[in-house]
Amino acid sequence: MKAFKAVGAIALAAGLVAGAAGAQAQGTGSATIDAIKARGLLVCGVSTGVAGFSLADSQGVIKGIDADGCRTVAAAILGDATKVRFVPTTTINRFTALQSGEIDVLIRETTWTLGREASLGLEFAGVNYYDGTGFLVKTAANVKSAKDLDGATVCVQPGTSTELAISDYFRNNKLKFTPVNIQDQNEIQGAFLSGRCDAYSTDSSALAGFRFQQGAKATDLVLLPEIISKEPLGPMVRKGDDKFFDVVKWTQYATLTAEEDGVTSKNIDTFASTTNPEIRRLMGLEGDMGKALGIDNKWAYNAIKQVGNFGEIWDRNITVMGVPRGINNLWNKGGLQYAPPIR
Amino acid sequence: MSAAMSMTTPTPLSNVAPAIVLDKVNKWYGAMHVLRDVTLTVGQKEKVVVCGPSGSGKSTMIRCINRLETHQEGKIIVDGTELTDDLRALDTIRREVGMVFQSFNLFPHLTILENCTLAPIWVRKMPKAEAEELAMSYLRRVKIPEQAKKYPGQLSGGQQQRVAIARALCMKPKIMLFDEPTSALDPEMIKEVLDTMIGLAETGMTMVCVTHEMGFAKKVADRVVFMDRGEVVEAGPPRELFDNPQTDRLKLFLSQILKDH
Amino acid sequence: MSELATTNIDPVPATAGNAAIPNTSRARPPATVHGPVAWVKTNLFGSWLSSLATIVFGILLIRWAIGFFDWAILHAVWSVPEGANGPDVSACRDAKGVGACWAVIGEKYRFILFGRFPYDLQWRTALVIVLFIALYAVSAWRRFWRKELLLVWVATLVVIGVLMWGGILGLEFVPQDQWGGLPLTLILATFGLAFAFPLSVLVALGRRSTKLPAVKALCVLYVELIRGVPLITLLFMASVMFPLFLPEGVNIDKLLRAQVAIILFAGAYLAEVVRGGLQSLPKGQYEAADALGLSYWKKTGFIVLPQALRLVIPPLVNTFIGFFKDTSLVLIIGLFDLLSAGKIAISEPAWAAYSTEVYLVLAAIYFVFCYTMARYSRGLEREFSRARNR
Repeated sequence: MKAFKAVGAIALAAGLVAGAAGAQAQGTGSATIDAIKARGLLVCGVSTGVAGFSLADSQGVIKGIDADGCRTVAAAILGDATKVRFVPTTTINRFTALQSGEIDVLIRETTWTLGREASLGLEFAGVNYYDGTGFLVKTAANVKSAKDLDGATVCVQPGTSTELAISDYFRNNKLKFTPVNIQDQNEIQGAFLSGRCDAYSTDSSALAGFRFQQGAKATDLVLLPEIISKEPLGPMVRKGDDKFFDVVKWTQYATLTAEEDGVTSKNIDTFASTTNPEIRRLMGLEGDMGKALGIDNKWAYNAIKQVGNFGEIWDRNITVMGVPRGINNLWNKGGLQYAPPIR
Repeated sequence: MSAAMSMTTPTPLSNVAPAIVLDKVNKWYGAMHVLRDVTLTVGQKEKVVVCGPSGSGKSTMIRCINRLETHQEGKIIVDGTELTDDLRALDTIRREVGMVFQSFNLFPHLTILENCTLAPIWVRKMPKAEAEELAMSYLRRVKIPEQAKKYPGQLSGGQQQRVAIARALCMKPKIMLFDEPTSALDPEMIKEVLDTMIGLAETGMTMVCVTHEMGFAKKVADRVVFMDRGEVVEAGPPRELFDNPQTDRLKLFLSQILKDH
Repeated sequence: MSELATTNIDPVPATAGNAAIPNTSRARPPATVHGPVAWVKTNLFGSWLSSLATIVFGILLIRWAIGFFDWAILHAVWSVPEGANGPDVSACRDAKGVGACWAVIGEKYRFILFGRFPYDLQWRTALVIVLFIALYAVSAWRRFWRKELLLVWVATLVVIGVLMWGGILGLEFVPQDQWGGLPLTLILATFGLAFAFPLSVLVALGRRSTKLPAVKALCVLYVELIRGVPLITLLFMASVMFPLFLPEGVNIDKLLRAQVAIILFAGAYLAEVVRGGLQSLPKGQYEAADALGLSYWKKTGFIVLPQALRLVIPPLVNTFIGFFKDTSLVLIIGLFDLLSAGKIAISEPAWAAYSTEVYLVLAAIYFVFCYTMARYSRGLEREFSRARNR
């Protein structure tokens, strides 16, 4: 009896190992891509609600550049940008959701740092938003630069990387400041507007959005030019699945390339007969770029047509909040977004 | 019923197995020795009254008979079955032994009728209509049939105790135990309960009764057992015990009791 | 007993002082002694200090009430026009501090109530809310406390499941992670407490068991472990740690995880409440049941539990109400219950400044459910005590 059990156990274990290896060996060679295709859905981790990045609107549809990023990957792999299951994650469970396989990719305005890339078993597939800490002051205060804020009171949310960033900045520049810690976002904005503190500090994208929301009174506030910390935000995937990593990364590069070449979701079909080799490769008319990645050759075409190029995604989600492109512009327009060539 | 009438209760049967046997029963509460070598035999149809000062162990002894308390040494045999940790034997014994408590212990969330029919329906598996018939007959016997649909909280103490007696009788027990049944009653209600118990005695029920009511003992008891400090001091027919106490302890007790009367 | 001697009671002749016969036909006591006027007089103006306090608080109350009425009704903005990029909130912005912006409710109420449930299918989830309320109402009516009620519950819950999931009868499938809003809160609370309550009774009985020390130890361990940590850490473990222990790709659904965590948590607290009831039941009840020959489970079911549970209705309902509101902690696992949906609704920059209005409405919704539970429990208590007293 015992012999039977031992043999059975070994057989079962062997079967499992073989099955797992087999899953690796067949299809594209990427377990994640195979799973996505088998499921017919991309499971995408986003935030619970951050305006401009991933926030449900009144109809429950999640809007934002992170959400649109998910849609481009779905369009690239499955050919349909609507085949996404959004999984809202909090700062507490975002990494474990990815590590455990609950989600395929995490696009959740997560800052790319060495610590995260080295110790979580996860890696960053590019940057979709270059952000940083900034300062917002009242125009009436006549402050032209952050260096003039010596002795100021600064409203900041406690426990954030912003708090650390500004305390480093003031110390480095030998300036003094008094932090006014308020946890709730509405309260802190109200405190700043009512004059309880001289400056309000958080991510500059959030500051720009807040200023924009003042409508006619937006000119009473001014965003200081200094961005005092680096917060590059980007999508994350699990380590060990290089093919999927490539797909996520190159999908964004495809949208950037489209913007560089002037290809939009509206006019992409007019390029069907173009002779421009880069655009032809982008549209899958030549080059087999998709096959090299392990997905359909129309990967970039689907992503751009169904969701848009990088500029369109940006305009529909971020520009409406009143945030300028700034360093998020293309490399040839003064910004940092630079896509390697698709060839 | 006046005191002059002599009792015509059936005499205890002596040629059948006794109803209850306690043989050298010892019990401790922690380090306190509450029952010392208690030996007592109660015959079928016999009425035994147990009396004694407080703390004498009389309640403890009677509660050992249906294992509401457990004894550590000695044997207790009820209706031919020995009391041990065997649950099934215990259930059988408890069906045949009815108990009436000092604080009535009626179930306040059930009507009087439900109080009486609960055990027959669920333990003896009697159909509901039959159980209700039975309950009503006993309620008539204790002279409160009209209270059947009321709740215990709506009855007086005397009425509640009579219901308790009827409830115990509905299980048709062979033995009835009474643990100071009238001690919690107002004086004007004691008589109605004692009358009920006397009526019960006349039907030939085996009864063990812990009580201070000496008048009742004189009328009904075949034997009176005097306990003090955990042991049986004296036992005998009531007339002998009350008129000719042998020990000093009994003499002292009687003098105290008679003072109160 | 002596007989009353019948004496001749001569009439007292009328004199100037008592000529008028006092009018004794008025049955009621005068208004200064009994009635609303008397109540006001004794309670509000009983002494100088009391009168002063009444006047001061009265003035403050009236001022606040007028201010609130002003803000909430008179100067409120009820709706905003559609602008080029969505609703144009400038009217609300101008009214900030002066009038409430109820337009945020008009714009966001469907998201707050139903979460991310697909927009055109939200009639299903609205129907679910109605079914839940109907179920509660029917269960509350004591007349219906029979075995059939259990069937009604099972049937209604099956219908609710079909409406929420869909997939059959031509209804489109909606996965659990898109459920949200009030139906999610009701589902978590109802299933949570429906399973936690029987669990708690078993644990309380187990804890008092003298014959099975292993069972008793297990129950003690369960209760003390759970009571030693906040619910949020349990949810955290359920959502964060638990998935790491499962093989990759195997996922226990988030909603199920949250539901189990809530059941375990509520079960532990309720177990202690039930145990309090079991302890305060007079020992004589247990003894009388034993003396009648009732077995352990019959004794527990017929005698002990009906009385013990009635004794602890106040703390039971207290715990129920607390847990109903604790369901909002599932935000931590990324589920959008009623409160979370409200928070996310005001994350949209256009509406971010009007959190007060949204929270007021959420508070009102929670209050309706919780207060109803509290009133119902008072009614239950009163009804049970009526039967016990003369």
